Amino acid sequence: MLLGKIVLGVAGTALAGAGVICSEGMIEVKVVERQPEVHHVYVLAPAMLVPIAAHFAPQREMSRAAAEMRPWMPTIRAALEQLRESEDITFVEVKEPGQHVRVAKSGGSIVVDVEDPDDTVHVVAPIRAISSTIEQVASASDGPTI
Amino acid sequence: MRKRLQAIAMFCLVVTMAASVPAAMSAPPTERYLHIRVEDASKGESVNVNVPLSMAEKILPTVNKGNLHEGRVTIGSAELNDVDIRALLDAVRSAGDNEFVTVKQKDQEVHVAKRNGNLVVHVSDRSKEGQTVDITVPMKVVDALLSTAKENELDVAAALRALSDAGDSLLVTVQDASQHVRIWVDSKNNPD
Repeated sequence: MLLGKIVLGVAGTALAGAGVICSEGMIEVKVVERQPEVHHVYVLAPAMLVPIAAHFAPQREMSRAAAEMRPWMPTIRAALEQLRESEDITFVEVKEPGQHVRVAKSGGSIVVDVEDPDDTVHVVAPIRAISSTIEQVASASDGPTI
Repeated sequence: MRKRLQAIAMFCLVVTMAASVPAAMSAPPTERYLHIRVEDASKGESVNVNVPLSMAEKILPTVNKGNLHEGRVTIGSAELNDVDIRALLDAVRSAGDNEFVTVKQKDQEVHVAKRNGNLVVHVSDRSKEGQTVDITVPMKVVDALLSTAKENELDVAAALRALSDAGDSLLVTVQDASQHVRIWVDSKNNPD
């Protein structure tokens, strides 16, 4: 009986933890390389882990990135806010014989698709996660926050 | 029994009032999109760009770089060879429908006119694979550009708002032997 309660508690905690971790959606990266050999890369990770992972990036590199980003933060914030509010839309689509590039907003995420004879790349990143990660990187600098 | 009837009457009244709220009050304003399409039939290439105008309106004032500050462009006199662009646009705005400029050369024709509340520019160049360029700018957009207090500024953010209010409009077309360029505004987020 006691064992059952412990198992139920652990399972409940694990389920709640998984729910929290996945609350910001999932980042999906799919890459297929065709030249010179065929390679498949597929990553499906909780978006919430990306800003956390940014904590472990080298501080010097983060500070440099933050310094470059800081003047553009008001623009980035405005752009991300508008992205969140906009309907699903294809922002850019380029078609050439054998090549196709598409950048779109779909269901709260930014979707990038690139297809050419050598590679196929498919990236889905939730806008909330992009926003959190950018804020995380921007706050890495010692300079004043805008 | 009487109280019950009163309650039913009140309920009907509330439902009727809720239903009669004008749809326009609750409906958000229609979003407009700026579309750019470049097609090259000879190479089988195409580029499509779609931008919600509200997005551009909100982002533009946050960009402060070079001549662009808070959605306004500062024009230096040196850039325009001392042509007073505000005075020029103001003159066009206050004038009636007319053809202002007509240049005819052997291989080229240029027309600048004001027609049906639009500033219309037509360039036809027969020397370059028969290239034609048509530009149509609603005068409301020109008015908005000139709405700043400073003489040497153009209010691009206000022009975007005016463009959004101006309705569906074809702004630019460029056509030559192989390429076709279109820039237009409408309320479809994916024109295909």
